[in-house]
Amino acid sequence: MNEHSDYSPTVGTSYVRTDLKGKVLGTAKYTADLSLPNMLHARILRSPHPHANILSVDIDAALEMDGVFHVLTPFNVLKGKVAPDVPILDSRVRFVGDEVAVVAAVSIERAQAAIDRIEVSYEVLPFSTNVHDSLGSTNFPIHPQGNLVNGAPLVEARGNIEEGFNQADYVVEDSFTTPDHHPASLEPRAALASWDGSCLTMWKPSRGIHGDKNILASALDLNPHNITVIGPAMGAGYGSKDETRTSVLAALLSIKTGYPVKLELSREEEFLAGRRRHSTFTKIRMGIKKNGTITAVHAKTIMDTGAYLSSGPGVVRRAGQGVLYLYKCPNVKYEGQIVYTNTPTAGSYRALGAPQGHFALESLSDKASEKLGIDPLEFRLKNHVGPEGQPGERTTPMNQIIDTQPVEGGIPFSSNELRQCLKLGADAIGWDKRGNIQNSSGPIRRGMGMSMFIYRGGPGGQSKAEMSLDQDGFFTLNVGFMDVGEGSSTVVIQMASDTLGVPPGMVRINGGNTDKTPESPMTAGSTLTFSAGHAATEAAKQLRDIVINASVEAFGLGAPEDLYLSPTGVESKDGESISFLDIVRETGPLTTLASVIPGSKDYIVNSFGAHFAEIEVDIETGHIEIIKYVAAHDSGRIINPRLAEGQVRGGVSQMMGFTFLEDMEIDPLSGITLNANFLEHKSPTIMEYPDIEVIFADSVDPIGPFGAKSLGEPPCIAPAPTIANALYHATGVRINDLPFTPDNVLLAMKNLQ
Amino acid sequence: MDDKYTKTKFLVNGRQHSLEIDNRHTLLDILRDYLGLTGAKKGCDLGECGACTVLLDGKAVNSCQIFAARIKGKDVRTVEGLAQNKILHPLQISFIENDGGQCGYCTPGFIMAAYPIFESDEEMSIDEIKSSLAGNLCRCNSYGSIIDSVVHALEIKTDE
Repeated sequence: MNEHSDYSPTVGTSYVRTDLKGKVLGTAKYTADLSLPNMLHARILRSPHPHANILSVDIDAALEMDGVFHVLTPFNVLKGKVAPDVPILDSRVRFVGDEVAVVAAVSIERAQAAIDRIEVSYEVLPFSTNVHDSLGSTNFPIHPQGNLVNGAPLVEARGNIEEGFNQADYVVEDSFTTPDHHPASLEPRAALASWDGSCLTMWKPSRGIHGDKNILASALDLNPHNITVIGPAMGAGYGSKDETRTSVLAALLSIKTGYPVKLELSREEEFLAGRRRHSTFTKIRMGIKKNGTITAVHAKTIMDTGAYLSSGPGVVRRAGQGVLYLYKCPNVKYEGQIVYTNTPTAGSYRALGAPQGHFALESLSDKASEKLGIDPLEFRLKNHVGPEGQPGERTTPMNQIIDTQPVEGGIPFSSNELRQCLKLGADAIGWDKRGNIQNSSGPIRRGMGMSMFIYRGGPGGQSKAEMSLDQDGFFTLNVGFMDVGEGSSTVVIQMASDTLGVPPGMVRINGGNTDKTPESPMTAGSTLTFSAGHAATEAAKQLRDIVINASVEAFGLGAPEDLYLSPTGVESKDGESISFLDIVRETGPLTTLASVIPGSKDYIVNSFGAHFAEIEVDIETGHIEIIKYVAAHDSGRIINPRLAEGQVRGGVSQMMGFTFLEDMEIDPLSGITLNANFLEHKSPTIMEYPDIEVIFADSVDPIGPFGAKSLGEPPCIAPAPTIANALYHATGVRINDLPFTPDNVLLAMKNLQ
Repeated sequence: MDDKYTKTKFLVNGRQHSLEIDNRHTLLDILRDYLGLTGAKKGCDLGECGACTVLLDGKAVNSCQIFAARIKGKDVRTVEGLAQNKILHPLQISFIENDGGQCGYCTPGFIMAAYPIFESDEEMSIDEIKSSLAGNLCRCNSYGSIIDSVVHALEIKTDE
């Protein structure tokens, strides 16, 4: 940007989402919307048993049917792996719904009919549907290494918790559980594969096309150069749509048959074979002094990863971030176990473990403040981690980039406006009136609760962006990341166009194809605005200089330092100008490729926030009504307020499902998921949508692009503990087991009486 | 495996179609697989999510629950039929301006579910509007922006 230009920056304004037009017209294409000539359809035969060895698969009758082209079984398939513990197909099935065989046929109906003719002989094995049984018995390891992943917990500690607890006047402790929580993206998984004899083209919902390409190459033993992955519009995933067998099986069927193959999962299959949020069991204790300071925090979390590991190690680590870093404390310890069970696989789901960890930590924090006889907000204002970070010594070498979720102390945050969030949120909800809203008679009880959070995010992996001034005088940003529906394309265009000094309408974005875009990390861990934003901003800076220099060379337009870009072309301070079209006609298209490794060697980049809720509990029915909800966030500078508010409101409402409704019911006797459909797996509808006020702290991060930090996942962390604390305030009943369905609430009330 | 086909005539977005239809197929299959109109989405195929909502003789229906035999002689309208001569319908404009969708998978269904509300001359309260849209799921939970979008479109209509 240049002060001479008449261009108005759009960063900080609610520029309209660039991809909505196709979505409201119905022309935006999602994977299942695509088809190719001579395309076959695939269906999967899934295991009826939670744990079994497959002895044989008889596919003769299926293959005899007209229109059936190929059947993949564990015994005729490549020996490649989709993930370290996931073969393409395996002769061991590990949950009800695990893949056994796959048919390619002329229609979905024919493929399903063929599935019904496959005879499978199983040797049924003992199984476990919960972590305690899995850890208790070694008779039936679900994977050869045993049911405890890595054979030991992840242990992270700072200081010495024994000393910390010895210094405490009180120790508060409790146990908490969270359910199997399914993202249930409205778009079920799908894949369309086309093999031309030497090259594979794959259309699939993806949050990381370049990573998906490498997974396909490794599983299918193909050269990555012979694979193109295309990410059409994505009906969301919330992190959960990482590689499963779906695309590998479609690819293999296309290779075997020579025809394009489309594989679409049903709603039930998406529930079973997708990825859920890890259910957890957490024991946590906190040492406090009479003066209100915290001397130690110690938590042990056991996570149920289901049949396969997926992203478990990352998730279990994030469940500990609050324990290790939210409160100023010299002595902290976190132990996280990941355990296999014979249930649908858990993986990444928006905020990755942080909601589970914070539910325990922030519920306990209210208990601690009650023990001390002080207000929960005051307790947090006294103890929250400040901009200076945690006490202790930095152990990361000074020339190394700081982890976004460190354990050590001695490192400041790049920005930390948690205190501002606490105060703004408290004002907005009317926290000072909290003592007056309670009523102790009648069926409706009113209460107010709050909680706060910390979340990693921001810097991601190496990120590249290619930017060009094209033959038509417009700019193109070529990026390898995926906009998964959160609006990242829009905010990246805003940052790039502001950097150039041209309107965002002059910048096109090209993405979603591995052949045409430079490598970019996944849209994961709330890192995209930060990482891709840096790359796009850097590319725009480079291109601006290239265009200015080209106009100097080609048209003798003054000295480069006197020139700037305007909406029409390159202009000089003296009022001379030359249009972009004239420049490219002379020079041809101008292109640059920027590559950045975002991060800081001096600071931790984290996001923060505090949520507040006023609720009414009907103690006769167990129904909880949210009267008002306030979400105050420090996500640095907000690039696009309307999109950002949509992220927060959507995240809070999504987690009302986690808090009040959603739980995969897995029958312990059969291993069958009993509610793999929207009717029985209740999710929030428009009727349950609460009044949510969103507040963004005044914050500009010195490391983030345009001052921005992470935002996508943070709204999901605080809703459950906020409601739990409000419920306690309203009724005197603390419920430590999610979800707060009316029957669970009534039962808890009854137990108290 | 005898596939039974029936010749069926019906209107889609004002155009007459006459097709040999597999009796096992639903209106959603016909729109998506026979006519290439993929705006209506298959979110569940069980009538539980509303992503496949279209208009059947002016009424919003889950197209995945309508078997082919039921559309004979009917007038079907899909999200693709809303814009006239490339001019977007006020609901479509309002969904863009109010950020009424994130991933967009539910968006065509919500717009078609809101269409009869928009066409109706009756004034509806916010709660009545919500109630009319309660059969449509949005897993991004953009519900606040969806309500804003519908209400704003109705306001524009009243102003005109």
